[in-house]
Amino acid sequence: MTTETPKPSLSLWRHRHFYLFIAPFFLIFAVFGLYPLLFSLYLSFVKWDGLTQIHWAGLSNFQKMAHDDQLWTALSNTVVIGLLYVPPMMILAFVFAQLLNAPWLKFKSLYRAAFFIPCVTPMAVIAFVFQLIFSSEHGVLNYALQHLFPFLHLTPIPWLESEGWSKAAIAILVVWRWTGYNMVLMLAGLQGIPGDYYEAAELDGASKIQQMIHITLPLLKPTLAFCGLLSLLGTLYMFDEIFVMTNGGPGSSSTNFGMYLFQISFDDFRLGYASCVAYSVALIVVLATMLMNRMNRKNVEAGLR
Amino acid sequence: MTPTQTQQSATAPARTQPKAAVSTRKWRQNLERGAIYAVLTIFALIFIFPFYWLVISAFKTQGQMFAMPPQWIPQPGTLQNFVDLFHKTNLPRAFVNSVIVSGANVFFSVFLCSLAGYAFAKYPLAPGRDRLYNFVLGTMLIPGAVTLIPSYMILVRLHWIDSYAALIIPGIVGAFGIFWMRQYMIANVPDDLINAARIDGCSEFGIYWRIVVPVARPALAALGIMQLIGSWNNLMWAFIVLRTKAMYTLPLVIYLLNGENTQPYGMLMAGGLLTTLPLVLAFLFFQKQFIAGITSGAVKQ
Repeated sequence: MTTETPKPSLSLWRHRHFYLFIAPFFLIFAVFGLYPLLFSLYLSFVKWDGLTQIHWAGLSNFQKMAHDDQLWTALSNTVVIGLLYVPPMMILAFVFAQLLNAPWLKFKSLYRAAFFIPCVTPMAVIAFVFQLIFSSEHGVLNYALQHLFPFLHLTPIPWLESEGWSKAAIAILVVWRWTGYNMVLMLAGLQGIPGDYYEAAELDGASKIQQMIHITLPLLKPTLAFCGLLSLLGTLYMFDEIFVMTNGGPGSSSTNFGMYLFQISFDDFRLGYASCVAYSVALIVVLATMLMNRMNRKNVEAGLR
Repeated sequence: MTPTQTQQSATAPARTQPKAAVSTRKWRQNLERGAIYAVLTIFALIFIFPFYWLVISAFKTQGQMFAMPPQWIPQPGTLQNFVDLFHKTNLPRAFVNSVIVSGANVFFSVFLCSLAGYAFAKYPLAPGRDRLYNFVLGTMLIPGAVTLIPSYMILVRLHWIDSYAALIIPGIVGAFGIFWMRQYMIANVPDDLINAARIDGCSEFGIYWRIVVPVARPALAALGIMQLIGSWNNLMWAFIVLRTKAMYTLPLVIYLLNGENTQPYGMLMAGGLLTTLPLVLAFLFFQKQFIAGITSGAVKQ
């Protein structure tokens, strides 16, 4: 007993450098991460406009969510936008990464730069460029489509003026912006796969496609899962792109969850309700991620066996 | 060709393929490679096009901007957009603000994340280390949206609204940075090096500063550039916490040029070009380190 009690504090002292080194992070994190997290949890149970008195609201915020048509529109828009852009983005990123990984390819850094520069550019700027490109009467995209495919007799597409096309326009913008980022992550993943595997497969007479299915894809799975998770979160909380290009419109056709959250908190000042919505959805995301992780781990283990 | 293959074909000439077959195979390979170059080039041009359009539009008059057919190269070009921009906004000030905010943000975040990442990577015996690290990772899933309102309120309480601190400090701690640094250091910083320094009497911080930082430079550069991109381009947070024009950062100035009904596209493009160019140049300049940093330390779980 007497020898055991001083032990923890002694070892804490022995490892004081560890705690000292992580302390600055945790101090700032406590103020700007942890406290806000707890406070917004509290806010989900109140009614508050940020200025006047806080009113306890119990669970009424949560009940409100069920009847909030705008929220459901925003969530379904989020899903549609995600479905429109995630598959093409992942496929393009994978193909680019695969091609740029070829040892015989020249001008690699030029191609890499071309694909990566979009995600360096500020959205506040680029969204306006895309407004120009997407303009239905004067836009270069419609012009190009009409002249590249004259046999289709296309009428100008109202990219930003129609409820359906606005989602497609956002999806195109996002594919353009984030493909390069995913490509670099996948390149990193590809370079982590030992070349011996391919040599062995080649000796056994495996075709390129077989190599891709049986070596590349299984071993790239953690990277792909990581990219998928980033895209999921990115779709849900996407803001700048939509804010500047369509401001959620026309109507609320391109309002995703992040945009809606911003509107109810900083346009309507329904801070309690906004916290409640943010918390609920974040909770679902965390649970979904944990589930995905668990399933993925099983897959990876099964794949290795 | 591997050495064994060449040897084989040299010692057993009977088994080498006829010349015609070799040349068709070569021809096919060339065709395949040519097709890959073509695909990559077409996509590269598509991806670079909006950026080209930004550059070119900055030198167009309003009329040229909406001309049909589109003007691929403005004739004649104009500098009026830049002149207007400098008359109507305080662009130099915004540029200085952006440099200060991004510079401080990048420096502190790389410093704190590498310090903590080093601690998580190389002090395996510290009690509670894994629990703390899992906690840090868990916070990665929590979106900024949840903490947006309370963070804003804290800044109000601290009287930091409309200050550099409001833009710099909340953004410097990120779980991703720690995750990034830890991954890299586990794989690339040898324990022997650390132990040797310790035996030589180097202080713990000295080890971090003199040994770990130089070894981890690619990872620091990669994280720094990622942080720079995020911080330089940040619109939403600047929009929320800034009040006075003197504090505006570049993206905010550009965004606020936007009128209620009319968009002054010329000025938007000129300002956009000036905002974008520093980052693009920085990326092109550091591309090698950046890609090397990412590929050496990234998601090899």
